[in-house]
Amino acid sequence: MGGAKTDIKLISKGKRIDGRGFEELRPIKIEAGVLKRADGSCYLEWGKNKVLAAAYGPRECFPKHTQNSYRAKLTYRYNMAPFSTDDRKRPGPDRRSTEISKVSREALEKVVFLEYFPRTAIEVYVEVLQADAGTRCAALTAASVALADAGIPMRDLIVACAAGKVDDEIVLDLCQEEDNYGSADLPIAISPRTGQIHLMQMDGTLTRKEFSTAFEMAQKGCLKVNELQKKALKDKYEKIGEEYGTE
Amino acid sequence: MKQIVVPGDKLEGKVDSYVFTDAGNTYSMVLGVFDKGDGVGKLDPLTGKYFPQVDDFVVGVISEIKKGGYVVDINSPYDAFLMSRRIYDEKDIILARVNNVSEVRSVSLTYDKKLFDGEIMEVSPVKVPRVIGKKNSMVDMIKEKTKAEIVVGQNGRIWLKGGDISKAREAIDKIEKEAHTDGLTERINEFLNKVI
Repeated sequence: MGGAKTDIKLISKGKRIDGRGFEELRPIKIEAGVLKRADGSCYLEWGKNKVLAAAYGPRECFPKHTQNSYRAKLTYRYNMAPFSTDDRKRPGPDRRSTEISKVSREALEKVVFLEYFPRTAIEVYVEVLQADAGTRCAALTAASVALADAGIPMRDLIVACAAGKVDDEIVLDLCQEEDNYGSADLPIAISPRTGQIHLMQMDGTLTRKEFSTAFEMAQKGCLKVNELQKKALKDKYEKIGEEYGTE
Repeated sequence: MKQIVVPGDKLEGKVDSYVFTDAGNTYSMVLGVFDKGDGVGKLDPLTGKYFPQVDDFVVGVISEIKKGGYVVDINSPYDAFLMSRRIYDEKDIILARVNNVSEVRSVSLTYDKKLFDGEIMEVSPVKVPRVIGKKNSMVDMIKEKTKAEIVVGQNGRIWLKGGDISKAREAIDKIEKEAHTDGLTERINEFLNKVI
């Protein structure tokens, strides 16, 4: 972000640089239960983003002094692989991934029934294998599928999606070029059932009017992604069910 | 009609467990199979850990010897404590009943009995009711066909000894994989007849 100058035309003839319309999402593929060792897992492809999420727990909380007698401790790790970006990403936590981990964890804490499991830990690990703008949304979307796949009680599936401003147009779900050379990015995460907002960040500037347009657009995007989340979770069991008929 | 539901799905009618209410409506809190039924609906989770409940029989492994008792690993986020005068070593396999689960989820066991030799397999705890079957029908059938001794703990640990263990294991794996499907008992019967 930051609205760097470029000669690339981001929008021409009402189409975006990758040929999408203004309110069109990138193609999304979600698969639940891909890792055998994790309690729950999810693999998600969102355009060129590739994200792998694993959820563990509730399990015993270590180190012991961090456990809480009233609720479970939720940990969330967002990590980018060294090969996920154009230049090699220096491995390990940095300022950016620490912040994303924190805000995403706080979003998930709102939907998981933590008070049901005192003294335990629920852990979510998300690895970004390939990044193409909007990884925090992809990561959070994958994480909530992984948590549901682990059988952890939740109020709702969290779903995230971004909208932004490119060439004075409000568009949904920015891709890498639009993110780099556009003028605003607004990722949000909501509970699709209640519409509660669990995460909202903004980069760049929007007028009030532009903001509400972008926000509504992102909300609509979230609801579309939510359908795919539900389908991914159901597919895992319906495939076996179809063979013999679900009871 | 049974249907697969995800967390946050709205459910019709009265449901007794794995649900929460919000503004007068009932919603599922887990990924599970919902059966509307005639009176009270039933929601069975498809995945999840074991949470001890009083009177459950569990297969545990002694993990630590303490004064006056033992710490037992019962395949749950919470370790259990067993007060017993019997002599056990670490890693011994026992069958015990859950005596009490306190407010802070400390679990105590009673009626302990050692399971000598044999081997342990683990299945997902939510699939245990299918492995046992109605009035033990499923596990009795496997016992009869494979001549193996089998003890199924509510915590998803299964102890097997003697007879054709590998076939019993295969049958149990099949049950676990197809737990939410129709006509499972007949299929397992067929499967057991075929391999023998």
